Amino acid sequence: MNRRRFLAAGAGCSACLVAELAAAQDWQAPARFARPELASDEGGLWALMDREETRLRRSPFALRDPQLHTHVQDMACRLAGEHCPDVRVHLVRTPYFNASMAPNGMLQVWTGLLLRVDNEAQLAAVLGHEIGHYLARHSVERLRDAKSRSAFGQFLGLFGIAGAVGQLGLIASMFAYGREHESEADRIGAILMRKAGYDAGEAAKIWENLLLEIKARPEGLSNSPLFARHPAPDDRMEALASLAAGMPGGVANDAAWRERTKPFLRDWLNDEIKRGQHEESLALLTRMMLRSPSMPEYAYARGEVYRLRAGDGDLDSAIADFKAAAAIGGEPAETHRGLGMIYRLRKQPAEARSGLQRYLELAPQAPDFAMMKTYLEELPQ
Amino acid sequence: MTRKLLGALFLVSLAGCAAVAKVETGDQAIGERMALRLEGAWNHVNAPGMGPAQVWTMEGLPVDQLLLYSGIKDGALIHPGGPAGGARKSFAFRSSMQPDEIVAMFEGMLTRDGSSFRLVKLEPTAFGGRGFRFEYSLVRKVDNVQHAGIGYATVSKGELFALLYFAPRIEFFPRHRGRVESIARTIQIKN
Amino acid sequence: MATKITAVLIAWLALAFAAPAWAQSKNLAPGFTTLPKGAKVAIMPTDIELFSISAGGVLEPKADWTETASQHFRAALLRKKTSLGLSAVELAEKDADDVAELNALHGAIARAIAIHHFGPLGLPTKDGKLDWSLGESVRAIKKVTGADYALFSWMRDSYASGERAAMMIGLALFGIGVGGGAQVGYASLVDLHNGRVLWFNRLARASGDLREAEKADETLDALLSEFPATK
Repeated sequence: MNRRRFLAAGAGCSACLVAELAAAQDWQAPARFARPELASDEGGLWALMDREETRLRRSPFALRDPQLHTHVQDMACRLAGEHCPDVRVHLVRTPYFNASMAPNGMLQVWTGLLLRVDNEAQLAAVLGHEIGHYLARHSVERLRDAKSRSAFGQFLGLFGIAGAVGQLGLIASMFAYGREHESEADRIGAILMRKAGYDAGEAAKIWENLLLEIKARPEGLSNSPLFARHPAPDDRMEALASLAAGMPGGVANDAAWRERTKPFLRDWLNDEIKRGQHEESLALLTRMMLRSPSMPEYAYARGEVYRLRAGDGDLDSAIADFKAAAAIGGEPAETHRGLGMIYRLRKQPAEARSGLQRYLELAPQAPDFAMMKTYLEELPQ
Repeated sequence: MTRKLLGALFLVSLAGCAAVAKVETGDQAIGERMALRLEGAWNHVNAPGMGPAQVWTMEGLPVDQLLLYSGIKDGALIHPGGPAGGARKSFAFRSSMQPDEIVAMFEGMLTRDGSSFRLVKLEPTAFGGRGFRFEYSLVRKVDNVQHAGIGYATVSKGELFALLYFAPRIEFFPRHRGRVESIARTIQIKN
Repeated sequence: MATKITAVLIAWLALAFAAPAWAQSKNLAPGFTTLPKGAKVAIMPTDIELFSISAGGVLEPKADWTETASQHFRAALLRKKTSLGLSAVELAEKDADDVAELNALHGAIARAIAIHHFGPLGLPTKDGKLDWSLGESVRAIKKVTGADYALFSWMRDSYASGERAAMMIGLALFGIGVGGGAQVGYASLVDLHNGRVLWFNRLARASGDLREAEKADETLDALLSEFPATK
């Protein structure tokens, strides 16, 4: 305590942070948790989560690919250290950024999150953050608090129970708890990810990326109720950046992550497009196009969002993106369908014919093959 | 069938406003301009606030639903309106919509509650003149029941006419799909 | 959300319960009256949830009550099967995973029966008969259990917590009625050869208590009151 004050007095606030980091890195994980008494409120929550986990396991929305699942489970295991045997990962096909860990060890990760993280380190940051809540037993504290505020239903919604998809919003997992809990989970998460060999500097980047999407919303940042009640993202980004500065090194594994998620990318991008939240999708896809200029999937997806939004100038933007995707090569067949449909709308039959023909060539098994063929045949000569 | 709708249905049935009517074999008129012919009766569940489609069923609303749209005008919502300030997106028909856009509109409506939709087939067909049909699968979020579905639609004089049917893919869709396809073949739209 | 669905379902089923007394056959599929003695019944995992109602009217799941109730329910079911001369086999968790889609489907059918057969929205094409079938797909359950029939059950029960009970009494003094809790549930018997729902019963009332063994027996008896006899 004295040493810290001395440092603080002598060297200004950056030294406070250093001292805090030193203190933070002294953090020790607790021993593994025993199953609580059934009659206790924690026990009640545990049993409820067990039932929910069974339902999740049996749900058609569970993503069951063994390789991806094993990989994320392994990551969670390494992050959780001694608690590895208690952590069970469930991947859920839902196009929102969310991960949540229940007090019984169930760790849900939604595909919207898997789509958005740039690399393994960022995924590790989120997993570590959730494991942090679990290790610090925040959920039980929150349960007691919620009960007294009769907000139990909302609390359950945090774990994906009894709530419609999207009710949680884009970033609920990062705001689920109060200021102190979130900061603590951030700290623990950073320590865990660094210990597991990941670059802690990636944690703050998740925030930057999410903010881009939220700011793109028509109503913007100011009206988000989440920001009114919780620590501002700037504070958290700064805190995370400081934490990372104290723990340099570690890997991000961009390329490995890209490879691993490639088989799912088109499905996840289609899910994102279908959300119909055009502004957010455009912000997300623009970021991804900048980050991965050699991947035609992102250019196609952004083109498709422009085409569907069809606001002023959007169709031209769509054409530009579709052409960019085609120029890269390996583009989804729908790229040409998109071009064909726009030119058809604009009564440019030659270009429309070219686009639709190419689509039919590339995707003979497409569900809408017959419809597109009819459009093609009906084009004036 | 969303829980909210079920709840609302309950309330109106309590008030005596909801009823199930038998739709008999033979010629039936749906709205002012659409007619069809039935072989075998259906059940028409009638309650205020369920529109704009007519809702028919064979096994009960939680199991299967046949939605009949007749003369939906440009700009009209294709589902019951939500409460004011509801977070869920609304879906409205526009006369300029192409078949793929109409399918996207129905897809949006069917997935408002978090359910997931996958288009299996989309092709032109003779439905009330020139129309199209589509097949799809739907996983209902609220209870994880996996459905198969079929739809038919056409736009005539700027108005939408459509049939949508979905039922659990196990047993029920195979059981009733033939009858839905037969109904679709008999659809006539008057000018 | 749990509050809403329970409230709606209680109301639905309460209406059904309040309807004029039906003939016994309302619970039975046409042409079905008895089970053969020694028939094997697969007990599907019961979907039970017990809630406490806080003073604010919020439904809170109570795991220990639910656990106890599940045990009472199971015990009562097994007693019943003995008294009826049936043999029962319980579905293992892993097997339940494999037939999850059938289970989900049954849930939807049970809701349809509760609303349209017992409720006020009868389907004219069913002609007042208990006429629902899951089809031969149920043979997957038959394969895994070797049973001839499957018993599904679902129960939601809520009890006023201490605070709420006090509030109820207080308000009652002012002549204001506040719901103390309700018990809703259903049980159904399905033929595993052809998928027909042979028997269905529903419960909706403001009394009953699954937390204690004796009272749980009473609930079970009410739920299984019209269970087909064996011959």
